[in-house]
Amino acid sequence: MDIRLKIVQWSHRLLQRAGRGGSFPGVLALKMDPQFISRFHMPETVILVTGTNGKTTTNNLIAESLRAAGIKTINNRRGDNLNVGIASLLAANSDGSFNIQADAAVIEVDELTLYRQFANLHPTHLIVNNFFRDQLDRAGEMETIIRRIQEVTENFEGHIILNGDDPNVIRIADSAKKAKIHFFSVAENPISRKTTDEASEGKFCPRCGRPLVYDYYQYSHIGRFHCDHDGFGNIEPDVLVTDVDYDKEQFTVEGRQFHSFMNTIYGVYNCAGCLTVMKTLGVDPAASDEVFANFIIKEGRNELFQLSQPCVINLIKNPTGANEVMKYITAQKGDRNLCIFLNDNDQDGHDVSWIWDAHFERLNVPEIKTIVCSGLRAYDMALRLKYEGLEDRVKVIEEDTAAVHWLNEQNMPSYIMATYTALHRTRAILRKEEKK
Amino acid sequence: MKLKILWMYHDLMDLYGDKGNIEVLRRRAEKRGIECVVDTCTLDEKKEIQDYDLFFLGGGADREQQLIFRDLLGRRDGIAAAMDSGTAFLLICGGYQLFGQYYKDQDGNVLESLGFFDYYTVASDRDHRCIGNIALEAAIDGDTFMMVGFENHGGQTMNVQTPLGRVLSGHGNMYRSEFEGFLNDQVVATYMHGPLLPKNPAVADKILMRALKRNYGEVQLAKLDDTLEDKAREVMLKRLKVI
Repeated sequence: MDIRLKIVQWSHRLLQRAGRGGSFPGVLALKMDPQFISRFHMPETVILVTGTNGKTTTNNLIAESLRAAGIKTINNRRGDNLNVGIASLLAANSDGSFNIQADAAVIEVDELTLYRQFANLHPTHLIVNNFFRDQLDRAGEMETIIRRIQEVTENFEGHIILNGDDPNVIRIADSAKKAKIHFFSVAENPISRKTTDEASEGKFCPRCGRPLVYDYYQYSHIGRFHCDHDGFGNIEPDVLVTDVDYDKEQFTVEGRQFHSFMNTIYGVYNCAGCLTVMKTLGVDPAASDEVFANFIIKEGRNELFQLSQPCVINLIKNPTGANEVMKYITAQKGDRNLCIFLNDNDQDGHDVSWIWDAHFERLNVPEIKTIVCSGLRAYDMALRLKYEGLEDRVKVIEEDTAAVHWLNEQNMPSYIMATYTALHRTRAILRKEEKK
Repeated sequence: MKLKILWMYHDLMDLYGDKGNIEVLRRRAEKRGIECVVDTCTLDEKKEIQDYDLFFLGGGADREQQLIFRDLLGRRDGIAAAMDSGTAFLLICGGYQLFGQYYKDQDGNVLESLGFFDYYTVASDRDHRCIGNIALEAAIDGDTFMMVGFENHGGQTMNVQTPLGRVLSGHGNMYRSEFEGFLNDQVVATYMHGPLLPKNPAVADKILMRALKRNYGEVQLAKLDDTLEDKAREVMLKRLKVI
């Protein structure tokens, strides 16, 4: 029995009893023992989930699928993907001697810190969703992130599951020579386009530097691409999603129909990643389909609140994610209001210039009546919208409680987009406002 | 009146929302009834640079910057001709560095740059990267104002004789330095992203006036409603405790 572990576990239980989660136990653990995470005896199956967008959703879909298949599974379901969050997760699910009390662990890991924790977590599987431009002040350039992940997977002998439709992601297959590589891909479907105004990456072949050729784009630089010169991108997917049907909310893999979780293109990719993991584990995909049909992800991913009228909240943190959320919001019917919370705390990234790389002109539909700008950088957001001709519909309410209250008072359906640190606060405010 | 803008390497040098600067210039010109043409120019594309009133070059990631390097140096004569003809220049971050003498990378390799100005840039170690919100006091063409932006650069730019402004908060040309950017009669060069112009409309107008000068001499621009612009700048100036 380790006394430091006990202290961490006690603090976790105390906080839970007080109705609070949070990362304090992990902070405490790493302060007492910087090597804390490496002390655990990990379960037989350890699946790490990383990438820029969709980590939390994918993590939950995988973990819930395993549970539905009767496998005892732990995961950091809220997306606490930094060292402290992972330390808290492990401590909370360990006995007094660092033995994890589960058969599988699914762990979302921040793509910037993955290289530090990779070996400590003894992964059997690594799944990489996508790499988009994200919080450059915090993340640095994407090249660094990819290079570091390539370095730590160079001698990895487990399974690597890659989004075969992202040229940044499949670079890992070129460098991880000892791993068992599995790709997932999504076939052309009603939202696919021959050209794009969204892609800022994936223009050049990482092997030879020549331009990549795209047969079609799904969103941002995700799509079917190849290099004419050296064949980069000509993958053979283990899981190929076909017949995506947004009206029936379903898709097909190898002749079997699945419910389309979230019914968006990025949701389909998250499902495809999950199904590829199941395939490598030999788990019946029926377990996943049950999850896709019934699971509700809270934590601000298309999360519904009942104010005077329905209110749906989504996390935004980079241009690609924001673009996809805006496509979803503008595809809805009827008059509605919108509220954007833009913060610039540490976890949001201090640099808010990314809003100029996102396609806010999409919000220029007549059914969007008012766009409330709130948060620490509310005026930066309002100014951005001014440049899309939305000035007359913009209303700045810097204070978050007042902004949510205003939405509730209008008696009109509403949509909220919030950056990371605004998300959790806003959800708490929404819960209170629901009770009014 | 008509204004022709050349947006260099729009598809490669487009980090940190720098394209927002183009939107600001275009909108503020059009609001004054000035017809605004924005042409882009990428690798291997032929463009007569001296035909343009304003030359814009933003920042890029290391990889992109390497891709454009040779192409840009090949355009030196065209750029020089544009300078002689009175074209105005707005250069951000990598664009700023590339107009100096050279860039020395972390391994000590020296990359000769366009060499129009005396300054040069040396890569810093990781501990001296200049990242964060920044505020300046700048004087452009006779008017003084406060500017805000976001800097994110490893390069330390030295030997700048005529900086754009005095740093009120942030780093500037070097880690914890006193001055930021480079300024002469035609060129505004800076590390400031944000993007630079939306929250600094007075700077945008100065650049427009410089660009128009080539064909129309001294032009007065009508005042615009900058309430949101001023408010967004003020929020940051207060946060940085400079007002």
